[in-house]
Amino acid sequence: MRASPQLFARSVWKGPHIVPLPIVRAKAGERQPPIKTQARSATILPNFVGLIFQVHNGKIYNDVRITEDMVGHKLGEFSATRKKFSYKQTKNK
Amino acid sequence: MVFIYGVNFLESRLVTGALTTFYGIGPSVCRTLMSKFHIHTTARVGDLGDRQINSLAEELSTMTLENDLRRQVVDNIKRLRDMGTYRGRRHAMGLPVRGQHTRTQIMTARKLNKIDRRG
Repeated sequence: MRASPQLFARSVWKGPHIVPLPIVRAKAGERQPPIKTQARSATILPNFVGLIFQVHNGKIYNDVRITEDMVGHKLGEFSATRKKFSYKQTKNK
Repeated sequence: MVFIYGVNFLESRLVTGALTTFYGIGPSVCRTLMSKFHIHTTARVGDLGDRQINSLAEELSTMTLENDLRRQVVDNIKRLRDMGTYRGRRHAMGLPVRGQHTRTQIMTARKLNKIDRRG
């Protein structure tokens, strides 16, 4: 696993930015409910792998399934905040 | 002609110029390499001794250069894109990746930021 460039920007003594998230582990056999959060700056920790987060983008909550590659990145990186520009023709000029 | 890392160089060529032709060796890496093997900054390729050339070639073969380095860069971008990160998306759109303004002056990003980046 490769350390994310995000980590290089932060002082080592601080450690990763850990946010207390309401992670409730489902019992065996039950489906894990997605975790709704607005903490976009929370660092993805190795124990998040496999969980589904609903990350707020300012308007809606986007589903993000955490894979092993994502460890070390922030939750917000996976929830786009901008809409792609698309040209719409105006009818009444 | 002197043979270094798969390329023939003219003896009259500066060592600095010869080394920086490789992708992955710029002025800075070139300077550290040359000071490591006690080569003067204005030395020509023809002035190098056999031992210097051999040790230089050995050092170059341990470094990630040329196509290996290009592949590494492309792989890193591809990894970001496949994960679906903001940075990967900006690469795919050909826009600046590190939060620069986009109103003007994004020619470098237009040129370079691609999924299969060249150069």
